[in-house]
Amino acid sequence: MTGAVFRETAADPRTQAVPLSHLSLEIGHLYLEDFEAGPAQLRRHFAQVRPWAEAARATAAAGPDGRRPRISTCFLVDDYFTRFSSPAELVPMLLAEADRAGLVIDYLARESSCAVTGGTPVAEAVAGRIVESPPPGSYGPRPPAAETGWLANGERSPVARAPQAMQRAAAWQPPAETAARRHSVFLDAELWSEDPGGRRLWSCPFLAAVWQLARLGLLRAAGEPVLVPRAHTGGPFPDDWDDLPALIRLNPRADPFAAYRTCSVLPSRFLPVEHAVRVILDQTEVDRAALDQVADRSARERTPVPASVADRISYVFYAGP
Amino acid sequence: MPPAASAPAAALLCGEVRTHLLPVHQALDIRTAAQFLGLRADERVLLSERPNLYARSPDTLTGVDCPLPTADGARTRAVGTVAARAALTEGRVLQSSAHVTLPAAGPDRRRPWGEYLVRPGVAEPVGKLPPDAVADGVLGGGRPGDLDLGAIADGLLTRLLRHPLIDHRPPLRSRPTRLRWAALPAAPDEEPSLEFTLAEDHLRTVRLRVPEGTPAAEVAGLCDDLALHDWLLTTVVRLFDGIRPDTPAVLAALRPAVDHLLHLWMPRARVTGDLAPLWDELETRPGFTRQWETLVRRIRDQLALHAIPSPHREAELTP
Amino acid sequence: MLVFAASDKGGTGRSVTSANLAYQRALNGDHVAYVDFDFGSPTAAAVFDVPDAVRGTRERGLHSYLEGRATEPAVIDVWRRTENPVLRAWPNQSGRLVLFPGDAGGGEFATDEEALERCVDLLLRLNAEFDVIMVDLSAGRSYAVDMVLAATAHPRMRHVRSRWLVFHRWTRQHVIAASGLVHDEHGILDSGVARGHDGDALRGSIRFVRAAVPDPDSALWSRVSPAQAAWMQSTDEALRRLAAEYAIGDSVVLGVVPLEPILQWREQMITEEDVLATQIANKETLKALEEIARKLTDDTCWGRP
Repeated sequence: MTGAVFRETAADPRTQAVPLSHLSLEIGHLYLEDFEAGPAQLRRHFAQVRPWAEAARATAAAGPDGRRPRISTCFLVDDYFTRFSSPAELVPMLLAEADRAGLVIDYLARESSCAVTGGTPVAEAVAGRIVESPPPGSYGPRPPAAETGWLANGERSPVARAPQAMQRAAAWQPPAETAARRHSVFLDAELWSEDPGGRRLWSCPFLAAVWQLARLGLLRAAGEPVLVPRAHTGGPFPDDWDDLPALIRLNPRADPFAAYRTCSVLPSRFLPVEHAVRVILDQTEVDRAALDQVADRSARERTPVPASVADRISYVFYAGP
Repeated sequence: MPPAASAPAAALLCGEVRTHLLPVHQALDIRTAAQFLGLRADERVLLSERPNLYARSPDTLTGVDCPLPTADGARTRAVGTVAARAALTEGRVLQSSAHVTLPAAGPDRRRPWGEYLVRPGVAEPVGKLPPDAVADGVLGGGRPGDLDLGAIADGLLTRLLRHPLIDHRPPLRSRPTRLRWAALPAAPDEEPSLEFTLAEDHLRTVRLRVPEGTPAAEVAGLCDDLALHDWLLTTVVRLFDGIRPDTPAVLAALRPAVDHLLHLWMPRARVTGDLAPLWDELETRPGFTRQWETLVRRIRDQLALHAIPSPHREAELTP
Repeated sequence: MLVFAASDKGGTGRSVTSANLAYQRALNGDHVAYVDFDFGSPTAAAVFDVPDAVRGTRERGLHSYLEGRATEPAVIDVWRRTENPVLRAWPNQSGRLVLFPGDAGGGEFATDEEALERCVDLLLRLNAEFDVIMVDLSAGRSYAVDMVLAATAHPRMRHVRSRWLVFHRWTRQHVIAASGLVHDEHGILDSGVARGHDGDALRGSIRFVRAAVPDPDSALWSRVSPAQAAWMQSTDEALRRLAAEYAIGDSVVLGVVPLEPILQWREQMITEEDVLATQIANKETLKALEEIARKLTDDTCWGRP
C-alpha cells in the first residue's frame, strides 16, 4: 500500500483556537461625557461597580468542581465616535480610580478596534454574518431590501408603497415581534449610517455586539483570532490613541481575555443599547469552528455554555446616569 | 439544547443546484475567482488547483419558518436555516446550491432564533418529520409558500451576477439547469444508491440513499458534481441543435465549445469516500462519460472537416 | 438581442404583431423569449393560446417578480403548452419559444430602484440564454417604457444590444402620435438621453412598423371603383408626406403589415397553414412578418438612416 498524501492549504482551511476564561467581566465603558465629568464621576462609577463585580465573581465561583474560576476584567474606551484626552493622560487615571475602589482592570480595549483592527474590517465581517430571524411564512426568498442597515426582532409594519393601478392600498398593520409572548416588544436597531461619501459609521449597539463576540472568543478573520491582547510593556502610555494596541493586557497575571460567558456592569442608561445588542447577537451566525472549539473546551471542563450566543451574555444595570 | 457536537441524526437531506455558464468574456483566474466568491469578509474562499481549478464560497444562511413540501399534502412546519454556497469550476461554470438537513423530530414549538443559528444548515420540524413524503415533495416541487430551496439558490446567484467583475459577455448562449436532490439514510445492510431523472424544463432530480451520518455538505458536493457534468452534456448537445453540417455556421457554433467547455469534463474531481461509487453506476448506465466522448469526437471531426482548406484558399496562399 | 415593442396608442396590433415576429424567429431556429411588459393589460398568454398559463401565473408573473414578491418569474414553453394545434406541431429545427407572462389580473405599477435592478437581472439572464428577447411594452409613455430605458442605460447592460420597434396604424393621428412618442419632449429619445443613453445611438436603434395598412395595389382592393382607388392612392401619398415631415418616413420604417382580418380579429399567430391550407390569411401578411423578423438582426437596416 502506498501512502501518497496530496494537500492544498487553500482547500483545507484551519481555524485557530483562543485561550478562554470562565467569565469576562466588563467594569466600565467610557465616553467623552463621562470623561468630561471628571475623576469624581469615575470614582462614583467604580464604587457602584465594586459590589456587583464581587457578586459576579461569587456566582462564577460556584462551579461544579469547586476550582477557582478564571475571570478577567476589561474596560472599553470610546475612541470611535469622539476622540478625547490621550492614553498617557487617561489610562493612569483610570487605573488609579479602579485601584482606589479595589478593582483591577486586566484588559483595556479601544472601541474603534471593534470597527477595524489591524486592517481587518471586523464590523463589516460581523454585519455579513447577520441571518435575520424568519417570521413564520418565510419559505426562502429574501425580502428585496435586506441591506437597509436596520435589524429588527420581528416584522415591521408594511410600507405603504404605491399599489398597482386600480388596486387598493393595504390598511396599516402593527409591527410584530417574532418571539412575542402574546404581546410584542418590537425593536428595530440601526446598525450603521452612511456619510455622504458612502462611508459607514457603525452604530454604538452594533460595535457593542462585536465587542461581546470578541469577549466570547468567537471572532475570527480567515481562521485567525481577531482582537488578540498585547501585553503592556511598562513605561508611559502613548499620546495618541492610534499608538495604543487595540486590546492591551495591563495585568500580567490576568486570566485569558475571552471567556465562555460575559457580564457587563453598566449604568442603566445603557439598557436600550444592550437590548439592541441582544437582538443583533440573536441573529448573528458566528464562526462555526470557533463555536465548536468553545463547545469542546467547555464540555471538557464540565462548564455548560448556553447554545445560543445571546444567552451567554449578562448584565448588571446599576441606578445612575 | 447542546450545540453542534450532539446534533440529532438527519432523517432527510435535500438541496437544489443551479448550474450556469459564467457570463464573462474571459474565464476568471483563481485569484479573481476568490475575489468574486468572497461572500464574507472574514471567511476564506476555498481554492483548489488539482485536479482542476475550483473555488467555493463560504456558506451563507437563510432563515426559514414554513411548511415543507410533501407529496401527500400533509402539513409539516420546519424552522431553521438553509445553507447556500456558490462554486466556480475553471473560472467558467458557476453553480449555486442550497441544502438543508432535516432531523426526524423537533420540539412542538419554535425555539429562540439564536438556538437555530448555532446549527447552521439544519431546519427542525415542529413535531415529527415524514421523511419519505417530504423527499417526494422536494423532488416534485412544493406548493406556493412551501420551503423553496431553488429560490434560495437563485437568490445567491442573482447576488453574484450583480458583482462588478461580471461583464455579461458570455462566449455562447446556454441554458441554466436546475437539479433537485433528496437523500434518505440507507438501512444498515443497504448499499448507497442513486436515481437520476431528467424531467422537463431543464429540471433534473436525484434521489439518493446514503450511509447514515453522511454530512449534507458531502452529498451536496456529489450533487454539484453531477449537476456540472449533466449541464456540460446538455449544453454541448444543444450546440448541435439547428445547425446544418457543411456550412460555415458549424465553425461559429462549435468553436466556443472547444474554447470554453471541452476541458471541463472531470467527473468525481471532489467526490469523497462512500459516495464516489455512486458515480460509477451512472458511468455504466446511462454512461455519462461515454456520451461526452462521443460528443467531443463529433465536434473535433466537424472542426477538422471545416479546417481543411478549400482549393480556392490554397491557390491564394501559393505565391 | 433585445427588441422592445412600443406604441403610442392601443389598437396598433403591437402585441399580436410582436408575438408573430417572435414566432417567426423561433421557426428559423433562434431561441426566443417573449416578455410581457404590457403591465396594464397582460394578455400575451391569449395570443400564444396558452390558457392554462393564465391560471398559474397569478402570483408568479412579471408583476410579482419586479415588485419583489417572487424570486423567479413564471415561464411558459409555448410549443409544449399552447392549445393551438398548428403551434403544437412545431417544425423540426425550430428554436425554443418561451413566454414570460405578467400576473393574471396585474395592473400598471410605479417602478422603483429595486424593480429596475430586478429588470436588469432578468434581461441579462435572458440575454445569456436566448438569441432574441422580444419585450412587449405598455402603450404610451408608460412605466414600462421608462423602466426599460433606464435598464438599457444601466452599466451592467453595457454589452447588450437592443433595438426598438414602434408600432402605429396608418392614419393621420397615429402617425403624429407615434412620432410624438419617440421625438417629443418626454418621448423615448428625450427620456432615454436623460437616463444616460447616447441620443444618436438610441435614435439609430429605433425603427417603425406601420400596422393595418390597406395596400391600394393589393388584390383585396382590386374591385373598388376608380374614384375610390384614386382617393386611396392620394391619401396614402399624403400620409407618406406627413410621416416624412414627422421624422418617421420610409427610411426609418422596418416594415409594413397589411390590413389583415385575422390579425385584427383572431389576434393570434399567422401560420403557413392559415395561408396555404385554410387560406384565411393573406400570403402578403405572412411575407411581411417574415421580412420584419429577418430584418430585426440585419444590421444594414439599422443605424442612422
